Amino acid sequence: MAANYWDSTQAKHWTYTRPELTHLRNTLHPPTPNPTPTNKTPLPDPRHTSIYMQTHLTKLARRLNLRQQALATAQIYLKRFYLRVPLRKTNPYLLMATALYLSCKMEETPQHIRLMLGEAARQWPELGVTETSKIGECEFALISKLGSNLILHHPYRALSDLQALFGLTPEEVQLAQSIINDSYNTDLPLLYAPHIIAITAIFLAVVLRPASSTNLNANTNPGLQAFSTSTSNAFPASSASGTSTPSVTGTSAQNALAGFAGLRQAGPKLSKLVDWLAESQVAMEAIVDATQEMVSLYECWEGYSERSVKEGFTRFMREAGVK
Amino acid sequence: MAASNPPSAGGVMGPPSVARNAPASAASVPAPHPGLKRTAQAAFEEAPDTPPLVKMNGTPYAPQRHINDNYDIVGFISSGTYGRVYKAVSKRNSTKPVEPRPHPAGRNVEAFAIKKFKPDKEGAELQYTGISQSAIREMALCTELSHAALIHLVEIILESKCIFMVFEYAEHDLLQIIHHHSLLPRTPIPASTLRSCMYQLLSGLLYLHRNWVIHRDLKPANIMVTSRGEIKIGDLGLARLFYKPLHALFSGDKVVVTIWYRAPELLLGSRHYTPAIDLWAVGCIFAELLSLRPIFKGEEAKQDSKKTVPFQRNQMGKIGEVLGLPKKQEWPLLQAMPEYPSLQTVSMHNPGVNRPVGLDKWYRSTITNNNYNTQNGSPPPNESALDLLKRLLEYDPLKRLTAEQALHHPYFIGDGTGKPPSWNCFEGLDTKYPARKVSTEAHEISTGSLPGTKRSGLPDDSLLRPPMKKIRDG
Repeated sequence: MAANYWDSTQAKHWTYTRPELTHLRNTLHPPTPNPTPTNKTPLPDPRHTSIYMQTHLTKLARRLNLRQQALATAQIYLKRFYLRVPLRKTNPYLLMATALYLSCKMEETPQHIRLMLGEAARQWPELGVTETSKIGECEFALISKLGSNLILHHPYRALSDLQALFGLTPEEVQLAQSIINDSYNTDLPLLYAPHIIAITAIFLAVVLRPASSTNLNANTNPGLQAFSTSTSNAFPASSASGTSTPSVTGTSAQNALAGFAGLRQAGPKLSKLVDWLAESQVAMEAIVDATQEMVSLYECWEGYSERSVKEGFTRFMREAGVK
Repeated sequence: MAASNPPSAGGVMGPPSVARNAPASAASVPAPHPGLKRTAQAAFEEAPDTPPLVKMNGTPYAPQRHINDNYDIVGFISSGTYGRVYKAVSKRNSTKPVEPRPHPAGRNVEAFAIKKFKPDKEGAELQYTGISQSAIREMALCTELSHAALIHLVEIILESKCIFMVFEYAEHDLLQIIHHHSLLPRTPIPASTLRSCMYQLLSGLLYLHRNWVIHRDLKPANIMVTSRGEIKIGDLGLARLFYKPLHALFSGDKVVVTIWYRAPELLLGSRHYTPAIDLWAVGCIFAELLSLRPIFKGEEAKQDSKKTVPFQRNQMGKIGEVLGLPKKQEWPLLQAMPEYPSLQTVSMHNPGVNRPVGLDKWYRSTITNNNYNTQNGSPPPNESALDLLKRLLEYDPLKRLTAEQALHHPYFIGDGTGKPPSWNCFEGLDTKYPARKVSTEAHEISTGSLPGTKRSGLPDDSLLRPPMKKIRDG
């Protein structure tokens, strides 16, 4: 529940091990032995799909002046839904609009169904839906697949609880927040408790900050580009960038990971973080694994192409007879 | 004397209009025996399986479980703006065995109360219109929460454009029990029952508050009692999380809590209320269990337009008649309340607030009038009950007891016997309370008109109460 993550449906029903996730996905998309070009369009990399959805949901959310948390909740709904329903059997644009419509109600910022449809249709010509009842029906499907487990625990809360403990600067908090936003493009929310993701984000933010302050003027560190643009945008409570730029580049993230070994030399803030981790009950392997996952995401991000995901969506929607 | 509660806050309901909303099939069932069961069942069949929408872009919605494959409807319990509640049992003549529905307490759930949410609009053909926020809240919270003193959710079935929430069935509720005792010859609720009810209620409330949930509609009708004497808090349709809300609680639902149980800070227009509003309602319920009538039975000033919420002068006056009006010496933040200026007008309309009865006197006369008497076998509650009541009906929400503090009150610790309150409020009782009225009458189903407005989060139980009168006869 809201106070106790460990008793929540999120912890009990929606947190998996990696083998479990792999098994679920293999059952959902049985690997075809001989994919022929005429047969089925291969799905984009799941992380690219996720980046695409996040980018588009963010645009929609900004138009509706929504909060970061509603956006994050919608992303988790989609993640869970697509563990149970094959992506290529759906209209992903309808699902995105519906997930956001539902998450807004859950996060106490309800939007009228007509407004949601109108804005979604304006943003996605591919939506192909003109009746609000389609969102209504899709909402039934979504809630049913989610087993009505709609209350979520996000890492943002742990971040705000821990920022004072580690004496994070506003810039570090903001960067950590961006990294959390990025984590919704990985499997991390399905693998770890929110505080693990928050600590991972804090760790990465702290490691990356010193480098950035020296390099910021020279603008040689593209890793913080998204971060610095995001601070100036008006999206409330959020630094999620409207563009598909990650908060960190693959290279700088790898450097961060390399620094993991020599952390104690890297400054008092880091050593405090490391000491705290050593003394706390937090699973160290989980943090290391999550950090690697984020680094891997940033590498993967470099190969992201919005156009190819979009075309992939269009093709499989056509194949499924959706359009 | 009608044992009817006013509708929950904001429920501005017109009189039932018979024809408009009658479910098509229920109205025209030419059953050979216009059997009541048939008709109640019919309400579940009014929308036969919708053909899968082919153009649903690859996600035609087909339910995985069907209500009629799993449950037999026994009858109709109540209705409100949210929809209707039916009593049901597990499917009896099923082709395939219906698996038992385990209760967290270890036994199987034998009987069910199925809450069928009304679609927002009702016309010739049901439409998907988007689920109301209050239904979403209730579904999400009931799925997430689990406690001995909370009504247990068995499952949710989304089918035929309707939402069915299947709960464990509870034979009684506090309103029904209060009503039973108020019948002649008037008998008091036994002190042990009272103490157990309060203890269980506060335990459930502590669980809710620890989980950052404010119930926002506590009243006797929403507090169920099972035949085993277990208290079950029900109806979370207005409940919501209050952990760092993105918006002030006020901005969501302008009016919360049924008027008689509404805390003074709400009456005075507070924007940022706290779980303390639930504790005020618990105080009112405690008083009502003692006296068998609502302690502050005010009249609700209806909203003239949707924009402005009127000051509830009458209700404030009723509270003032007993407690006196709040003073800034006792409630430092009183002057910050938006309706503070209106408070001055209360005494002009109700001079009684200048000579309040006081809770001490109210308590003594209640004990006397309700025949609490050691000689006739109904010993009065422990003296500490009055102190608990005072601390729950404390004006300043910051001074009012929290659920946790209330559970540590001497009333629950030392009652002379040294025994903790029982989790069976009927323990040691000879009284047998009448079973819940489950109507199988045809007209009750087809006439319970439900205006097509969105539930502003609040049930209208004005339609729910009339059956209570019949309990007296039966």
